[in-house]
Amino acid sequence: MSTAAHGMPARLTPSRDTLQALYRLLAAGLLCVVLSFLSDAFLTPGNIINVLRQTALLFMMASGLTLVILTAGLDLSIGANIGLSACLAASVIKATGSPWLGVATGIGCGTLVGLLNGALVTTLRIPSFIATYGMMWMLTGITYYYMGGETIHGFPASFRQFGSGYFLGVPIPVYMMLLFLLIGSAFAQRTIWGQEIYAIGANPVAAQLSGVPVARRLVLVYVVSGAMAGLASLIILARINSAQGDIGEELTLPAIAAVLIGGTSLFGGSGSLSGTLIGALILTLVLNGMNLLQINAAWQPLITGTIVLLAVWIDARARRASE
Amino acid sequence: MTKPCAVATPSLLARVPGVAIVLAILFVVLGLTSPSFATPANVANILVQSTILLLLALPMTLIIMTEGLDLSMGAVLTFASIALAITVLATGSVSLALLAALVVGSGFGLLNGWLVAALDIPPFIATLGTLGIAQGLSLVATDGQSVVGIPRSIQVVYSGSMLGIPIPIVIGAVAFALLCLLLYRTRFGTYVFALGGNREALRLAGVPVRRMLIAVYALGGAMAGFAALLMTGRMSAAHPTAGLGLEFDAIAAVAVGGTSFERGDGWLIGTLLGVVTVGVLRNGLNLLALPSSVQVACIGALVIFALFVDGLRSRA
Amino acid sequence: MNAGAVGGSLGAPEFELQGISKQFPGVKALDDVSFEIRAGEVHMLLGENGAGKSTLMKVLCGAYQADSGAFFHRGEPVRIASPADAGKFGIAVIFQDFTLVPYLDIAQNIFLGREFASRIPGLTDRRRTYVEARRVLESIGFDIDPRTLVYRLGVAQQQMVEIAKALSQDARILVMDEPTAALSARETEQLFAAIRRLKRGGVAIVYISHRLAEVFALGDRITVLRDGRKVASVLPADTSPDDLVTLMVGRAVDTTYGRTFCAQPGDVVLDVKGLAADSGISAIDLTVRAGEIVGLCGLVGSGRTEVARAIFGADRVTAGEISLAGERIDGSPHDSARRGIAFIPENRKTQGLALARSVGDNIVLAGLQTMFPAGLYAPHRAAQAAQVMIDKLRIATPGPRRIVGLLSGGNQQKVVIGKWLNAGARFFIFDEPTRGIDVGTKAEIFKLLDALASEGAGILMISSEQTEIVHVCDRAYVMRDQQIVGELSREQLTEANIVRLGMQS
Repeated sequence: MSTAAHGMPARLTPSRDTLQALYRLLAAGLLCVVLSFLSDAFLTPGNIINVLRQTALLFMMASGLTLVILTAGLDLSIGANIGLSACLAASVIKATGSPWLGVATGIGCGTLVGLLNGALVTTLRIPSFIATYGMMWMLTGITYYYMGGETIHGFPASFRQFGSGYFLGVPIPVYMMLLFLLIGSAFAQRTIWGQEIYAIGANPVAAQLSGVPVARRLVLVYVVSGAMAGLASLIILARINSAQGDIGEELTLPAIAAVLIGGTSLFGGSGSLSGTLIGALILTLVLNGMNLLQINAAWQPLITGTIVLLAVWIDARARRASE
Repeated sequence: MTKPCAVATPSLLARVPGVAIVLAILFVVLGLTSPSFATPANVANILVQSTILLLLALPMTLIIMTEGLDLSMGAVLTFASIALAITVLATGSVSLALLAALVVGSGFGLLNGWLVAALDIPPFIATLGTLGIAQGLSLVATDGQSVVGIPRSIQVVYSGSMLGIPIPIVIGAVAFALLCLLLYRTRFGTYVFALGGNREALRLAGVPVRRMLIAVYALGGAMAGFAALLMTGRMSAAHPTAGLGLEFDAIAAVAVGGTSFERGDGWLIGTLLGVVTVGVLRNGLNLLALPSSVQVACIGALVIFALFVDGLRSRA
Repeated sequence: MNAGAVGGSLGAPEFELQGISKQFPGVKALDDVSFEIRAGEVHMLLGENGAGKSTLMKVLCGAYQADSGAFFHRGEPVRIASPADAGKFGIAVIFQDFTLVPYLDIAQNIFLGREFASRIPGLTDRRRTYVEARRVLESIGFDIDPRTLVYRLGVAQQQMVEIAKALSQDARILVMDEPTAALSARETEQLFAAIRRLKRGGVAIVYISHRLAEVFALGDRITVLRDGRKVASVLPADTSPDDLVTLMVGRAVDTTYGRTFCAQPGDVVLDVKGLAADSGISAIDLTVRAGEIVGLCGLVGSGRTEVARAIFGADRVTAGEISLAGERIDGSPHDSARRGIAFIPENRKTQGLALARSVGDNIVLAGLQTMFPAGLYAPHRAAQAAQVMIDKLRIATPGPRRIVGLLSGGNQQKVVIGKWLNAGARFFIFDEPTRGIDVGTKAEIFKLLDALASEGAGILMISSEQTEIVHVCDRAYVMRDQQIVGELSREQLTEANIVRLGMQS
């Protein structure tokens, strides 16, 4: 703003955030450089496309979750939600032959789960991490039961385009990622609902006493998180062309990691979708690197877990310092 | 000031109805729907199988009383069992193997405690992180394969009996007694109540709060390590994914048993009944040939219900 | 009256503070205050809010360090640098928010951290805990089974446990801050009986109270503070309730309030009938007309904030009607804000602002729906609107992007007010608008209130500063014990009348 007087302490809000985003971008760049030295296979077109595709997928999962974490909540049911949505969508596609019905089912299921989570958190006042934790187990159980150990595969080509198709040499999921980054960022930064969500995360009591309909907004973020999970499930389906009960199992931790690495604070009120994108990129690069270096895939949850802990610790430190 | 102000009734009376009723109803329903359910052999079976869960749920009760949570217990149990299996196969010594399991368990417990108490990381995130770590270590150490060929000396811990009572039940009873002693008759137990009920009071009283909190989580890890002995004995093998998800049953048992997540209130008999309830539920649904996934869904619903009831109670 | 106890008036006092001064940024909380505490005596400490009572007690118990002054323990000069030091001299404070653990029993709470070890290593000696607990409880005449869990106790009983806890640590000086605020008449009597027993045992008690009846029923000595200075230290026999009120209240008027009182109030803006809420208030009737500033007075805990919250919709209303400009409302904060009701809460840091966010973000929060009816948020328009408020209210900030937490208290309050002005509010509820604010900003806020009123807004103002109410409000309601006990018109509105109505007589 032009009214900033020179000589007074810097306007802290924008500079600090942009600085942090730049650091992260730098970290991502550094990772790329390091990896290109460590492995010849890194800078190949095939691998780059792979990284982009994985990042896109991770971002789609983590974008809705970002909104939830912005309100100082958590959605541990994302992975299970993806699993259930994917399996239901798969059956519908198989049964009716119509990809669009499948899409509707997937997104619909995800949204419904989100609605349930939102209801548990706002109406029953159950803390979000417990509510979504219980939901996670319920959904996992339902998914396994529904699939009965079987696999569904073979989807129509038009559907598979979503996950495997290219446009101008770039995988379609990447375009979707950019689209949702745009939409998501616009929602968070350029709508009044986005502003209210930030306010709720920063101080829910003050937000409520300022007339923000807190319960309604909370339900909204869980619904969006669920819907995005539903969407992500479709892309996964389209990519791997099959569905089985354990699809979503290992996805929750990376999604949370992406959001936290991206700079969104677990304690609410600060963060952004672009941050989550960079976080998704960084995490994907790390895991990609591990793959290229032939490190046992079993180490991945370990690394992801450690990264999550590091990110939270840094966040908690920063919080205490500013108090 | 002539008449006494209040009677010292423990809240036993207020809470017995809750979980005991649920248990009784379950028993009746399952007994009616499944002929093989209400037999003495089956009941004994339930109790034996529930012991592992009991060993997890008891320290989980304490952790939850401090307004915390340990999501990593199942993964730690798994990794401890792998450590135990590898050790016994390498050295042939049961005691060394048990030691290995205990070291692993306590190590993770201390890590959890340190993350929560010293680094101020919210418990569910901290233990979610260590869950990933433990899970990863399990997979790496075994390359995804089960460790088989567990000697009889370990198997007998689960299948043997002492004076006609199955060893697991003896272990369970001893663990229950020790934890009751710990919670209700030692300073440490008193401090556990305070950690959840009014941490500030403890600080003002000059008690090292951080150390106490770490100890609570360490206890959870240690008992998970001990439970690994039973689990490995039961399966005669150590699978890299065996115990995963057991922490969920433990949390469910504690919630159903009436321990609140937010008030520093907790009772071990409730957890015991909760463990039996979960065990009964699983057993009954097994006999009805419902797959594990449905059981999990049911337990999930049970937890949400228990939390809802708990929320009503605290608002009343 | 109560005579001084054993050795009280002859030997050196149990504890003495001399010439204590304490300065905080912007305000001198204590100015050369001396205070004697004698064994076996109940020393009453009186004064209005902000007179320095709690600051003095915090200095005594080591929570604050005095800028200057001396301490004497039984005639010997000593230092108190920390709460631990105070503990060594037997000074114990009974806190308002109790330090009790709900699911432990009374005995365990009393001896928390100092448990008795049993002969079996590792275990605690429960029997001894109960025996010792019973002994302490009996010494204050509290007859209760020490195995009772604390959460089952009422506030009065919990207070007794706190006293027992302090005694069990060999307290010789007990400081009690408004101990009867939440007690019934009968519980108060029980507390007094306990205090009298303590006196007979030689314990000294410093008792802060607003209730004049208590002061005369229990006190052996009375000290009155005003504006950080000690204005009197008398025996109850040498004074009267009226004298005390005069001592507490009389001061030179040095703040400019600049209020032009409303000659012709407009239509009724807010009409409240028979309001009751689950916060405990009941039978509340009040009205506010356009152009009026109506005060809501009473002691801390009398229910004023609860009334404000009920009107705004922040607490659940259980009975009664609220009408805004003739329209019945029973809503939520969201609804109230939409209708143009503003709520400036007592605690601006925890309830009025998101400290980590910018000035601009805070200012536009309540007005988002009005400013952007289509839902699309335009940051530059929001910044402009925020700048308008910054200029209008003269908020000292380099711009709307500064983080609110870095502003001074007065400017933070202006941000809260700006938030509601930006939202176009027409009815304002102010809860302690000038608490913790420097004199200069206070004057600005009063001018603002006056301007709002002249423009036809209706204002309900809660304040514990009687002077403010008298100089700013057109009329006022007085509350006591969760109900309205009186209404004072412009002519009747004097500090003495407020104080009299608000205290138990």
